Amino acid sequence: MSAPSTSPALSPATSPALKKPRRLRGLLPVTPVVVFLAALFVVPLVRVFALSLHPVDANGYPLDGYSFVQYRRVFTESFFSEALWHSLLTALLVTVLSVLLGFPAAYALSRARKGVVRTLLFVAVVSPLLTSVVVRSYGWVVLFSANGVVNRTLVWLGFLDQPAHLLTSYLVVVVSVVHVMLPFAILPLTTALGGIDDNLRRASRSLGAGPVRTFWKVTVPLSLPGIAVGATVVFPLAMGIYITPLLVGGANQPLAGLRVYSQITAVFDYPVAAALSLVLLLLTLLGVSVLGTGFRFWEKRLHG
Amino acid sequence: MADTSKVSPDARTAPDTRTSPTSPATPVAPATRTPRALRRAGRIATGLPAAAVFVFLLAPLAVLALSSFNATSSLSFPPKGLSLRWYGEVLSSPDWQASFRLSGVLVLLVVLTTVTIGTLAAYGLVRGNFPGRGVLSGLALAPLMVPEIIIALGLLYYFQGLGLVNTLSGLWLAHSLVALPFVIRTVMVSAQALDPTLERAAASLGAGRARTFLTVTLPLLRPGILAGAVFAAVTSLGEVAVSALVSGSNTTTVPVRIFSAVQFQLDPSVAAVSTLLMLASVVVLVAVDRFTNFSEVL
Repeated sequence: MSAPSTSPALSPATSPALKKPRRLRGLLPVTPVVVFLAALFVVPLVRVFALSLHPVDANGYPLDGYSFVQYRRVFTESFFSEALWHSLLTALLVTVLSVLLGFPAAYALSRARKGVVRTLLFVAVVSPLLTSVVVRSYGWVVLFSANGVVNRTLVWLGFLDQPAHLLTSYLVVVVSVVHVMLPFAILPLTTALGGIDDNLRRASRSLGAGPVRTFWKVTVPLSLPGIAVGATVVFPLAMGIYITPLLVGGANQPLAGLRVYSQITAVFDYPVAAALSLVLLLLTLLGVSVLGTGFRFWEKRLHG
Repeated sequence: MADTSKVSPDARTAPDTRTSPTSPATPVAPATRTPRALRRAGRIATGLPAAAVFVFLLAPLAVLALSSFNATSSLSFPPKGLSLRWYGEVLSSPDWQASFRLSGVLVLLVVLTTVTIGTLAAYGLVRGNFPGRGVLSGLALAPLMVPEIIIALGLLYYFQGLGLVNTLSGLWLAHSLVALPFVIRTVMVSAQALDPTLERAAASLGAGRARTFLTVTLPLLRPGILAGAVFAAVTSLGEVAVSALVSGSNTTTVPVRIFSAVQFQLDPSVAAVSTLLMLASVVVLVAVDRFTNFSEVL
């Protein structure tokens, strides 16, 4: 029993005959997930792609054959194309804000000593993540509603004469989407900041750098992997988000995800929804790879 | 390892204790360089933004929880009078009851499914050495990279053809798809930290592959599996982006019912349900935290 189990560990390269069945056996545990994802992820995506190439008749009913008419609509009709631009810019803004706001929180979390404080801070970060997007959006609806806390505070402080319609403004949408995304930025940042050897900061200080300089020259560069992970997780999530903008800002917010949703639920024009969502996917993947390349380039310049 | 340090304690510790008093400048100097007042100012300068962010994170949740105890029928904050009226209303409503039951069943189904296939896959992806491993890892995490509205449209269109819209099975599959990447990712972290020699030791002592996996590997993967299970449960409990399109009048989960309620009305009963939903997540988290240090898994 013991002989065959120890021999491959000792000589993995010298027994090519043994290698092949062993390699394929390693595939076995992965099979269920591959089947699952092929059936529920790959096939639906391929079918959406096929759907997007369907021409439709005057009533929006899919016809046979293939055409690019849906894509032409997505790029030429401003109702769709402007929403795509808007989504891209909003996702970038949300990504930047999430990293900027996430940094101090992650810093505090990584420096907190084990104990009650650390647990409380951790719960504060994770609790929004554990709460449904609907619930969090609803919280913002309550906060920003006509007689909500924000409105009454603004009136009380004299910034407003009377409560304003905050719930249709772009600013409120950005605030609530950032709230949804923040934990996704804070957690990888905390890991990265926690992994920085404290001696490096001390070394920088003892060599004459002030706290600000140490922060910019030591802490931020070394937390770059965490920033990269946070940004590349937040960006795609922000590109496709539609529940929060819909509940907080209303169905008319010019975001691609919302346009897809309204095409599906109100207009029932599936083919154009498919084309729009695939262009959105393409933009998302493009954005993620640009972000990833940018961070890799930055890291290389710092360390190379 | 422990033995060698015990055998020769003098040789290891003596030089350390001797050198540190002779050169006290290195550890102490950086701390004394900046005046105390300045350091306190610095701590406030870094602490205040952090505190603001934590308040920002908790504000909408706290407001919801507090306004759910409103005695009046308007959603005012701070609440006017305290009562459990809205909780009673929600818990006695057959519609909400059905939704809670459905969400509960889904959580169980989704956790069982994703933990089983996700753990196997994560283990296989980390430890296996087969061609195309990188591609499969990418595929396993791909649903995270794809905007949720596309997954929703894809599943809606696909399920319409299969007759799975407005069914429990449809929601089960949809939730599992959304939750799966989280399980795979957390278990992969545990699997990467796994020491292969422990499995080899079990095998060399006569345990078969299945037995080694069940008695050695699985217990070692437990932190990742539990974290993954929490994520799967919480994801299923709160999932709405895909469910909003795939569910129907007979299969309205709690978040989807909140979703449609928020679009049309604002009354404290929805705040009460939201608070109950938050409570459910906290219970899941605390329950798991008792078995493992959850914060270390992430």
